[in-house]
Amino acid sequence: MPSRSIATRIALAAALVAAAGARLNAADDLPKAETILDRFVEVTGGRGAYEKTHSEIATGSMEIVGMGIQGKVSLYSAEPNQSLTEIEITGIGKILEGTDGKVAWSLSAMQGPRLKEGEEKSMTLREARFNGHVHWRDLYKQAETAALESVDGQECYKVVLTPAEGNPVTRYFDKQSGLLVKSVMTVKSPMGDIAVESAESDYRKEGGLLMAHKILQKAASQQIAFTVESVKFNAEIPKEKFEAPDEVKALMRK
Amino acid sequence: MAARLGIFFLALACAAPAADRASLTAAQRQSNLDSFDWVWTTVRDKYWDPQLGGLDWQAARRELRPRVEAATSMEEARAALSALLARLRQSHFAILPAQSYAELEGSRDPGQGSPGIDVRMVEGRATVFAVEPGSSAAARGVKPGWEIAGVGGKEIAPALAAIRESLAGSTTVELLQARSVMARLSGRIGDPVRVAFRDGAERSVAVELERSRPRGTPAKLGYLPAMYFWVESRRVRPEIGYIRFNLFFEPETLVRAFREMVAGCGDCRGLVIDLRGNPGGIGGLATGVAGWFIGQAGRQLGAMQTRDTRVIFAVFPRPEPFRGPLAILVDACSASTSEIFAEGMKDLGRARVFGARTAGAALPSVFEKLPNGDGFQYAIASYVSFGGKSLEGSGVIPDEEIGIERRDLLEGRDAALEAAVSWIERQRN
Repeated sequence: MPSRSIATRIALAAALVAAAGARLNAADDLPKAETILDRFVEVTGGRGAYEKTHSEIATGSMEIVGMGIQGKVSLYSAEPNQSLTEIEITGIGKILEGTDGKVAWSLSAMQGPRLKEGEEKSMTLREARFNGHVHWRDLYKQAETAALESVDGQECYKVVLTPAEGNPVTRYFDKQSGLLVKSVMTVKSPMGDIAVESAESDYRKEGGLLMAHKILQKAASQQIAFTVESVKFNAEIPKEKFEAPDEVKALMRK
Repeated sequence: MAARLGIFFLALACAAPAADRASLTAAQRQSNLDSFDWVWTTVRDKYWDPQLGGLDWQAARRELRPRVEAATSMEEARAALSALLARLRQSHFAILPAQSYAELEGSRDPGQGSPGIDVRMVEGRATVFAVEPGSSAAARGVKPGWEIAGVGGKEIAPALAAIRESLAGSTTVELLQARSVMARLSGRIGDPVRVAFRDGAERSVAVELERSRPRGTPAKLGYLPAMYFWVESRRVRPEIGYIRFNLFFEPETLVRAFREMVAGCGDCRGLVIDLRGNPGGIGGLATGVAGWFIGQAGRQLGAMQTRDTRVIFAVFPRPEPFRGPLAILVDACSASTSEIFAEGMKDLGRARVFGARTAGAALPSVFEKLPNGDGFQYAIASYVSFGGKSLEGSGVIPDEEIGIERRDLLEGRDAALEAAVSWIERQRN
C-alpha cells in the first residue's frame, strides 16, 4: 500500500507481522468485514480514484516523541508491488527499506545491508502492493469483524485481517466516517516479535484520495510521530529506484 | 523502526555543576513540580519491572515531592528529583541540568573545554591515563602516570572518598570517580584550571592548564547533550590492525572507519578494538559494529526487555567481514554499549577480551526534556547478554584481566594492548 498505509510501511522498517493471536467471532449485528473494508475505499475516494493512480511519492517528517530525535521520510511506491522507504534521522543517518516485488531488503549505516526472508519478506511484499486497500481480497485470506470498540472515544469496528502467510493485522474503522483510525500488528523480524500500534488521523485530500497525514506509532515503550507533508501521484519513478543498493546486491551474490 | 530505535546512552552524570542559586519564581516552582510528576509517572509506567523491584514508589513521591515544592533553587529541586531516581539503584537514571542544553541550542558546540587529560583510577588514586597531543597538558609536560591531587585549589581525595563510600560494592565506583575528576577539569573553553599533580618521583607539581576544544567533532542526537566524537585506526604491528573511538556515535562516520579498516586490513592476522574509556552511545551500533566481524547469520549479542517487548540485538553480517582473531580492550570506564558489544562478542566466542572489569552500567535508556528544561535520562529496559548475563551491576569480566599500573603508565607501557597483540601473534600457529 502506498502512503495511505504509511504506518504499516514504517513498521516494516522494523520487521514483520506475526501472530496477533486473538480468535474472535463477528457478532451477528455487526457489519461484515468486507462491507467495512469496501466502505473505507469508498469514503477515501472510491475504487475509480484509486485505479487512476499507478505510482506515488510521499514525503514527510518523523519524530521520536519527547526525545527530540527527528528525521525526514520519503516513500516511493509503484505498481504492482514496488516500494522504497527512505528515512534520514539526524545523528543516526539514513535507513532504507525496499522491494522490487521479488527481493525485500533493508540497509542502514547502523546495521548494514540485510535481506529479508520468510514471514518478514512476505509482509514486505504484501504491504508493497500498490493500492493495497483496494486489493485486500488478494492479500488476505480472511477478514472478520470482531467487535465494536471505542478508540479515543470514537465507536470503531474492529476488523481482523488474516493473510495467507503470517499473522493477523487488526484494524479499527470509525463507525461514522468509515475511516481507518488505528492498526495493531506484531512485526516479526530477527530482532523479535514487536507489537506495533499505529493511530492514523488528520485525513486530507490528496489528488482524488483522502489520506491520513498524521500517524502516531507506539512500539517497545517509544512513540514515533509521522507527518505527511506532500504527495505526488503518477510521477515517473525510475525503475532503478526500486533496485537493491550495491551493498544488498553483495549479499545476494553470497 | 520504532523497535529498532532502541537508543541507549550513557549518563552524563558529571555534567558541569550548576550555578543557578537564585530564588525561584512561582512559574519555575510549578515547572519543577510538573517535572517531578513527569519523572515519577514515567518510571511508574515504563520501568521494565512493573513492581519496581518492590520499591514503594508512592511513598517516595510523598516524601520527595514536598522537597521540590519547598526548593528555593533549581539545584535543590534537581537534588530532590535525583534522590527520587536514586531510589531505583540502577544506572542510566539521571537528571541533566538545563545548562547542559542552554549552551548548545542553536549551536553544535558543547562549549565545554578540556585541558587534554584522560583520567583513570589507578591503585585508588586519580591518575593521568593519557595526555592529548597538542593540548595544554602536553605543552606543560604533564605525563601519564602522574597522580591528580587537586583541581582548582581543592583536594580531590575527599570527593573520591565520598563516592567510594556512597557506592560501596558497586562496579561503577571507579567510573564515577574518574568522571568526577574529569568534570572538575572541564570547563568553559579558554578558562584556565590549576591542577596539582604528583609526578613519577612523588614530587608536587602545580600547573595552570588552559581548557580548549576537545578532540573530535561535535555530535548531537535528540536531547542528549552534544559531545565530541572521534575515531582513529592504525597498525600496532605490521600485521595487526587497531581501532579506537570515544563513543558509539555518528553511525555513518564510525561505520566508514570500520569499513576502511577491514578493507585495508586484508593481510592482517588480527585486529584490536580498544573500548577503554568508551562510555557507550547508540545501542544499535553494537550490533552494527559486530557485523564487521561475524560472518554467520542468526547471531545475537543479547536482548533487552521492556515492560512488554523483548528486542533481540541481532547481528547482520556485512558482505565481507573480518574473520581473523579479534581482541577487545576494556577497563572500568568502558560502559553501556561498550559492555553490550564486548560481552556479546565474548559470549559468541568471536573475541577475546583484555583489560579490567567494566563499569556494569549497561541499561538501554532514552533522554527526554522536562518541563523545567532539564534533561531526564531513564532506562527503558533490562539487558541480558547472549550468554545470559545481566551486565548491570556486574560488568564484563575480561578473559585476561590486566589492571592499570602506575609504573606502566610512567614507563609508557600499555600492558593490556601488549597482551592482546601477543595473543593475536600466538594465533598464527
